[in-house]
Amino acid sequence: MISLSNIRHHPKVETLAAYAAGNLDEARGVVIATHLTLCADCRLAVRDFESLGGACLESVEPAPMNESALASFWTRAGAQERAAGSASKRAANDFALDAAHPLASYLKRGVDAIEWRQVAPGLAQQIIPAEGYRKGVLRLLKINPGVRIPKHSHGDEELTLILRGSYAYEVGDFSPGDLADLDDSVPHSPLATGEEACICLIATSAPLRFKTLVGRVVQPFIGL
Amino acid sequence: MYRALARKMTFQSHSRVPGNAAADEMTALLAKVAADGDRDAFDTLFGFFAPRIKGYLMKIGAAADLADDLAQEAMLRVWRKAKLFDPAKASASTWIFTIARNLRIDAARRAAKPALDPDEPTLLPEHEPLADARIDVAARDERIKAAFAALPPAQYEVVHLHFVEDLTHSEIAERLDLALGTVKSRLRLAFEKIRKDLGDLVE
Repeated sequence: MISLSNIRHHPKVETLAAYAAGNLDEARGVVIATHLTLCADCRLAVRDFESLGGACLESVEPAPMNESALASFWTRAGAQERAAGSASKRAANDFALDAAHPLASYLKRGVDAIEWRQVAPGLAQQIIPAEGYRKGVLRLLKINPGVRIPKHSHGDEELTLILRGSYAYEVGDFSPGDLADLDDSVPHSPLATGEEACICLIATSAPLRFKTLVGRVVQPFIGL
Repeated sequence: MYRALARKMTFQSHSRVPGNAAADEMTALLAKVAADGDRDAFDTLFGFFAPRIKGYLMKIGAAADLADDLAQEAMLRVWRKAKLFDPAKASASTWIFTIARNLRIDAARRAAKPALDPDEPTLLPEHEPLADARIDVAARDERIKAAFAALPPAQYEVVHLHFVEDLTHSEIAERLDLALGTVKSRLRLAFEKIRKDLGDLVE
């Protein structure tokens, strides 16, 4: 179980805005949505951006509906029953992150049932199909304790959400619920810390660029 | 007292966004639909929101007839889910925006992947709100709207392109012939202004 107050690293404001605008590719959307299940501050920020979306919607120049639209609407609505109301009373701080919606619907058998594919010593991954209409790649990465990911940077953005274990790099220490939102060209090289393997959910919109020979050798296996 | 002030400011200075009176009325009407399925109230909501959703979808590139059909579909979702609407958690325009946004994402996914698995996870659920501390939604939404309407034109434009025309940062840069960094900093400035205006509403 993870406690809210432990989250130290959050998405950038403009990433939350892009999520609220419906503008992220599916892979990054899943990562943000999963972080949101845990982080009340980011949920509030997204709510505010959706409210900004509402203001934008009000300001859109209306396009007159076809003359028969309302009548045709009521025909479609027909005898259909309206959904019964059942707002969730689920507490935000009492569930396992890897079972949280919407990630759970992509991982129907759970994290423990994953058949990891070894990509380098101490490093395994699983690609999760999440191809939306915008290109993006979603994967789970398992880093054994003490293993360091080869130094790499990104042509574009990478979102990494820690699900289990922990890792550390130049920016700080990352624990479950923490999210690294990187669009920099600064190479980074996270090290799995702690006793258990670090499992993280990673969305990239562009191939990783490895900086070292080891990285370039690993890259074809990671499949980027 | 604040609300009255915000309303006054909005009316005085801006015509880009309809006044709050209209928006408040829509929220009250949607609450009526939520409470007892009031069809007359819904007709008024349809008259206000359906053409705006259609305009939104056409901005993104949908042809008029498809946009008309999808706008009806969005309003159908509003009608079916109305019981879930809680005016303490969102204003009508915020809630309906999330529905229209999700519908257009679903439509784009269906277009990209015609054989979509019906069990395909919905990426952006209409809010199934977690048990958050209560916030004064009406006050927040009014301030956000006023701050949006008061943005300098260059910032207003990028926010609008991002939220209404679904352009990514780099697509906005291309459209306006600006550097990517300029687009990002305009958006950031706009978001900072809006958040600053919410500063003392922190729960």
